[in-house]
Amino acid sequence: MAFLMYGDPKVKYLCSCGSMKPISRIYFCRHCMKIKCGFCVSHEVDLHYCSNCLENLPSTEARLKKNRCGYCFDCPSCQISLNTRAVSQAVPNPDDPSKMLSKKSYYLVCAFCRWTSREASIPDQNVANGGWPEIDCPNSKRVAELVDHYQEISLQEKDEEERKKKYQVRPSYFHYAEKYGLSAALAKKRMGGTPQRETRTQQSALVPAVASEEVEELSDSVFIEQLELNKVTTIKQRLASPEIQPTVVSQLYPLHKSLLVKRSLRCRDCEHNVSKPEFNPSSTKFKIQLSAFYHVPDVKFLTCEPVFIGKRSELIITVCNPTQHQSSFKMHPFELNLGAKGSGDAEESAPGLKLCLPECARDAQFKINGTIKLPTTEFQLLPRDDTAEFDDSNKGPTFNDDPKVVVWRRGNKIALRMAVSPDADAEGVLSIGFVIEYSYVNTMTTLEKKEPQKVKLKTHILLRPGPIFKSSQ
Amino acid sequence: MENSIKIHQGAVVCTECDLKGDITIGKNTVVHPKAQIIAEAGPIIIGENNLIEEQAAIVNKFPASQESTGNATVMIIGNNNVFEVDCHSEALKIGDQNVLESKCLVGRKVELTNGCIVGAHCRLVSEECLPENTVIYGDNCSRRQQADRPPPQTLQIDFLTKVLPNYHHLYKPNLKD
Repeated sequence: MAFLMYGDPKVKYLCSCGSMKPISRIYFCRHCMKIKCGFCVSHEVDLHYCSNCLENLPSTEARLKKNRCGYCFDCPSCQISLNTRAVSQAVPNPDDPSKMLSKKSYYLVCAFCRWTSREASIPDQNVANGGWPEIDCPNSKRVAELVDHYQEISLQEKDEEERKKKYQVRPSYFHYAEKYGLSAALAKKRMGGTPQRETRTQQSALVPAVASEEVEELSDSVFIEQLELNKVTTIKQRLASPEIQPTVVSQLYPLHKSLLVKRSLRCRDCEHNVSKPEFNPSSTKFKIQLSAFYHVPDVKFLTCEPVFIGKRSELIITVCNPTQHQSSFKMHPFELNLGAKGSGDAEESAPGLKLCLPECARDAQFKINGTIKLPTTEFQLLPRDDTAEFDDSNKGPTFNDDPKVVVWRRGNKIALRMAVSPDADAEGVLSIGFVIEYSYVNTMTTLEKKEPQKVKLKTHILLRPGPIFKSSQ
Repeated sequence: MENSIKIHQGAVVCTECDLKGDITIGKNTVVHPKAQIIAEAGPIIIGENNLIEEQAAIVNKFPASQESTGNATVMIIGNNNVFEVDCHSEALKIGDQNVLESKCLVGRKVELTNGCIVGAHCRLVSEECLPENTVIYGDNCSRRQQADRPPPQTLQIDFLTKVLPNYHHLYKPNLKD
């Protein structure tokens, strides 16, 4: 599966926003029947959770804890989760000093680089969870001041904005309010009916920071003493705890583990979910997962002869129907006029495209430096049948395929042979494209249409079979 | 090459392991089946309370430049060391309380002092002497110095000395203290 997730994929699909993505990275919105990718859906945070203890936190609490888990720690030396280790020590019994009691104490240890909390001179704890002393961040007061200040300013600005838009249709500010932690304040105001118009005077006059050119002189020890690399922290270690930025190893302090989020993705056009995870942090399943590889024909690259300029090479691809319905597809040449397309997915691609990619990158990704001879006939694909793989009786319907084009057929999969040739001035990697027009049965029922409808959809596909060689010797 | 294997009383050495050459194994040391100890270029002396796990290889072999001639060099391994599964060590001098984690490789010119840990899959082939309590870990063989040494594996060794004889044939100890 790694080739699907990492590296430069050989087969890319055109998303409705205009970016090219492998099929594992795109979604298919069943309501507007378009391909969507991570760039053109809205991301919503469903829950914050700690990947170590799997505790989930409401967003307000997560914000309060600076998006970090209160109980789990990462190693400050190698950024891997720390474990708690218990040791039992013999201590004299307070009632009867002649007898010894065994007492358990706990310290943190990294299983990977063997860092322990004892190295940071943190005393061992009597309880296994929590209770670890927190380190004081030297700039915490200033940061808190700044946060207060900017919160005040944003509240003020919101007030002004609202006053301006008094007689206009008011959009919901909740989205922004949530972002800056103002929802409670806003809600209070809304409940009060007419907003109170008390002028907010700036309560705390913030002392602006002053830049100075003078830098503290380095102490003599820097020049005299020999540098011991084992005692100096690495850049990665320093950046991992930005609030204290330790320079020597003994200052390293356990880092609270960063929380992870589960997010749901929503189509921007129809506001339906394309992906929604289950709420439980320990579950990796989804309630809704409209990944494209469940709906769009999966084009996979099988083989290609070495590509030489001025020579035709044989290319074999497979097309797989992932749906429960019989499907047919036809191939058309790749058209590049994205802005003014008559039909297909890329119809409204222009505005979305501008959002996510700079102009040069937009054109570069559609670079085609070869031609492909596409079959003109329409191909039928059987529905997906998981049991067919184990069924040897081969009693499926036979198709009247041209053996020159169809290499083989297996269940819902078909392998096609095509000829590709690079352009005369092409160099680098061969890049060819085509449009696949496929029939799709939409089982989504709406108010108007109760019956599943069969539609024809188009998707642009780019193939990069391999490097181009100059001449055939 | 003639085999001359001296095993101290209390050591557990399984017969399925691969022993070649002049080898001395100290008290309470456990050698798992399928471990390799090959004394090709000179004797190997292993101290007490060491744990040598499956597929670990301790090899005293001739450097590539000199083929099977030259003087014998002695390989000395101290006490309380752990050689984890599939580690490979050619180091001529290993002190006490070192841990060679799984699949690591330690070259002939490396000297491990005391309390060093060579992390899983770390390669160490240059000519150097590791300072005490060095930990080598991760993809890039990052190094750090730790405060205390890895604890000796007494419990594990005790357990193995009880269990291994139930399921494996052992070499008879032939040296008394």
